[in-house]
Amino acid sequence: MNRRRFLKLSAATCAALASLELENKGIFRPVASDAATCKGLPGSLGAKEVTSVCEMCFWRCPIVAKIKDNKLVKIEGNPKSPTNGHRVCARGNSGIQLLYDPDRMKYPMKRVGARGEGKWARITWDEALDEIAHNMKEVKKKYGPHALAMFDHGASAEFYREIFRATGTENFSNEPAFFQCLGPVSMAYLTTYGYQVSERVDMANAKAMLFFGSHLGENVHLSHVREYMKGLLRGAKLVVVDPRFSAAAGKADMWLPIRPGTDTALILAWINYVIQHDLYDKEFVHKHCKGFEQLRKSVRDCTMDWAARICDLNVDDMTKAIKMVAEARPRVSLHPGRHAAWYGKGDVQRHRAMGILTALFGSVGVPGGLYFPTPIHLGEADCLGEDEVDDLIEDVKPPETSLKDGYAFADIFPGSPTDAIIKATKTGKPYPVKLWGVCGVNLLQTISNPYQTMDAIKKLDFIFTIEVLPTEPAIWADIILPEATYLERYDAVHKKGNLYPYVTVRQPVVDPMFESKPPYWIARNLAKRLGYNLFTCKDEREFLNEQLEEIDLSLDKLSKAGGIVTFKANPYKDLNKPLGLNTDSGKVELYAESYDDEDLDPIPRFEPVPAPPKGYARLVYGRVPMHTFSRTMNNLWLSNECPEGKLWINDEIATRIGVKDGETVIMENQAGYRSNPVTLFVTAGIRPDTVYLPHGFGSRSPLLTKTYGKGASDQFMITNYRQDPFMGASGHRSNFVCLIKDGKKLSIPELRPLPPEIPRFKMRKAS
Amino acid sequence: MSQYAMVIDLDRCVGCHACALACRAEWNIPVPYRRNWVKRLGPAKTPYGMSYTFYPGLCNHCDHPVCVEVCPADPVKREFTDSKTGKKITMEIAATYKDPFTGAVLIDKERCLGCGSCVEACPYGARYLNENLDNPKADKCTFCMERVEHGEVPACVKTCITDARIFGDLSDKSSDVYKLVHEKGAKRLTSSEVNIGPNVYYMGSKKDLHLLAEKCTPHEKTWENVKAPTRRDVLMAAIKMVTEKA
Repeated sequence: MNRRRFLKLSAATCAALASLELENKGIFRPVASDAATCKGLPGSLGAKEVTSVCEMCFWRCPIVAKIKDNKLVKIEGNPKSPTNGHRVCARGNSGIQLLYDPDRMKYPMKRVGARGEGKWARITWDEALDEIAHNMKEVKKKYGPHALAMFDHGASAEFYREIFRATGTENFSNEPAFFQCLGPVSMAYLTTYGYQVSERVDMANAKAMLFFGSHLGENVHLSHVREYMKGLLRGAKLVVVDPRFSAAAGKADMWLPIRPGTDTALILAWINYVIQHDLYDKEFVHKHCKGFEQLRKSVRDCTMDWAARICDLNVDDMTKAIKMVAEARPRVSLHPGRHAAWYGKGDVQRHRAMGILTALFGSVGVPGGLYFPTPIHLGEADCLGEDEVDDLIEDVKPPETSLKDGYAFADIFPGSPTDAIIKATKTGKPYPVKLWGVCGVNLLQTISNPYQTMDAIKKLDFIFTIEVLPTEPAIWADIILPEATYLERYDAVHKKGNLYPYVTVRQPVVDPMFESKPPYWIARNLAKRLGYNLFTCKDEREFLNEQLEEIDLSLDKLSKAGGIVTFKANPYKDLNKPLGLNTDSGKVELYAESYDDEDLDPIPRFEPVPAPPKGYARLVYGRVPMHTFSRTMNNLWLSNECPEGKLWINDEIATRIGVKDGETVIMENQAGYRSNPVTLFVTAGIRPDTVYLPHGFGSRSPLLTKTYGKGASDQFMITNYRQDPFMGASGHRSNFVCLIKDGKKLSIPELRPLPPEIPRFKMRKAS
Repeated sequence: MSQYAMVIDLDRCVGCHACALACRAEWNIPVPYRRNWVKRLGPAKTPYGMSYTFYPGLCNHCDHPVCVEVCPADPVKREFTDSKTGKKITMEIAATYKDPFTGAVLIDKERCLGCGSCVEACPYGARYLNENLDNPKADKCTFCMERVEHGEVPACVKTCITDARIFGDLSDKSSDVYKLVHEKGAKRLTSSEVNIGPNVYYMGSKKDLHLLAEKCTPHEKTWENVKAPTRRDVLMAAIKMVTEKA
């Protein structure tokens, strides 16, 4: 037998042979192949395989990690996954470089210099946890439970959240991811449809898709992008409304370069148009919606001409676009959007309007429209100690003035608005906040006005962070706990109840490196020191088995099944029967009575947001597909792929002010804050009154050696913001910049006339 | 005889760069070098409308590879075997050569002098020399023939999130690549100056193909124009290799 033939045979026993077919029909192989006989195979072939779940972004695709000689060599999608199959995105492929990043936090650290200086001394886990527990107890004793606040994001935070909840604080889960991102869209769709629609929109079966700013392709949620692509390949029409020609606009039938901040005007005019021209689903509206008459009356003055002037669009294009979409009804995927905190004030209403237009097309519970989740009921996992926590906080008094006050619907969501906590910390009003715990959130690269956040941190008695990397918040922390990466730990059972429901688990593919510890261990040992009887399971496996038992599964069974078990989806509804939605009326609420009670518009109304002051352009931001938030910029491979975001500027503006593609400039915002140098990208694909910068660059942590100082940060230009009145989300898109080249200020000329309905932002210099 | 080929469908490509990273991971390619890349093109105006597309590129495993012609390594005789039929051919090859049975252009690393002639010659910029190494060798995409031999697809194809990369044998009329090239009109990225039979094909909308051609057409770099290494360069590289082996 020659060598090649031998290798061929041995490979066949080690690796299933993937076919060349377009769709994944790979045969799944058991978790661990026989590594001994596979030695010497090239690349990742013949590696030991461990199934797990990605966390390079929160979409959490099922993965298979490939291990050779105890080293992770490759990450691929779990071929058994019904959503991604053997695929992972750029970031998923680069998880190896998070695991083996030499910049990682290796040991528990204690601050020795001033806050923000980044000088630390190595301490033991016992010392670190003792110090955190001591400070938590002290602050609680001195100022009461609400003086503690936690900022969290990511799978590991679930454990720490229980600890903060047990302290009795109302500030136990303040996901900036919610209050800076998804909040307004959740609020709007909960009101209209009674459930968290999120991204449950069946694009694969759509005949038309309508996006407001959603830039799929630049934003890569893998299975979501696949559904979108499937829809396009099946011939769905695509209309993209965006001031910028996004990757999605590149695939679209129509691009409407709307004036930023005017989307609601366009949607209201479209609602009026489809009603006036009988382009709506009368039967659906009659059977399943409440408040149609009020809606009809409310929007009757919203003409296409009016909207065209406000939105700076062409009536013919607007008409052509809405006809194109309406003709496809009910198979219309009007994407609810994700990051919805744009301007603060009108954000919920914009998404309400989107939800209403969706209902007029009858695109609810049908293929191609909004669909319903398929719940998977896991066990309660008593060992987390939820009952124990309820007992602990039974006697805790709510604060006299809650941080949720002033926001009509904030109390239906856990935690308090991020902005309210930061302001309370800075001012001591309405009550002092003196301790922050931070896990998985880059407070300075995520939250509006990072200068204010830094001021607030200076007022704290104590701040600790749980980190994989020395991020900006770590630089400001008193104690830093090194957490194991997603490749070195278990987390809670991962379930997805979308179109292809499944259950899978994250499990360590290698042992935790350095002195990093998994979240369950950290939470358990911290809880113990605080005297809370939480996390009673001896380890994660016991906890996971408790969760799985409820659906007749166990870790062993999951493992035998290839790490993942799928369920039948139940996404559509029988529209002959009442929808039975979880709204006040059980129907789709076109008219929201609950808003009326709070003096909020029960039917969306267009409220203008201020236009750029003379000489400035509006700064908008978004994503590049090689990075997640501000989290992956230090990844060796991803940084190489995209080291910095370029500032997009309209080609005509560039010519007029005398800047060229590839040149370096500095941004100055309306308050006089200046950015790091940033490279210009001159393109016809953006409006003249808008500039666009990919989010998350311009790191200020010198310990992130691969990304420190590269590019400019959009976040450090976002100093002007406003809260939405519903649940307190912060809108980030009310900031304006001019450019500075060679020390000379270049003001941006106004090429598009401003209608009288839209006020101009009034300049105020920074103090 | 087979000719492996790849078709890249720009209608499907969303420019996520997964292919470039899967390649880097599979073969542990050191930053900043690459065997496989995605260049972002646009948004820019074209006669067919605004385009925002991507140039996912890799070695084209050309029919008439200039890199093979310029390789100065002493030729040796090598026997090739067709894995399908068992048929054998003996050929004289330099350090870089085109496999007669798969059509893949490959490098015999043992015999590569590291002189960089092929890197200079490739009009697509598909080769690199890791200058940080003491004894650099030319490197580039192998069409993952090491994986293909074991029944796997190339790493970039396997990870592609929208199945925009289609790989197969162009000589096999039942293959997907054959159909896409001969029936769906997938095109090569060539120009009047550089037309050396690349085996990576592109398909997509008119506007995207227009922008791709405008921005990424290979430069005029026919092999006569290539800065060939001097006799002395070749001699020095050869001496270095011999002394290091000893």
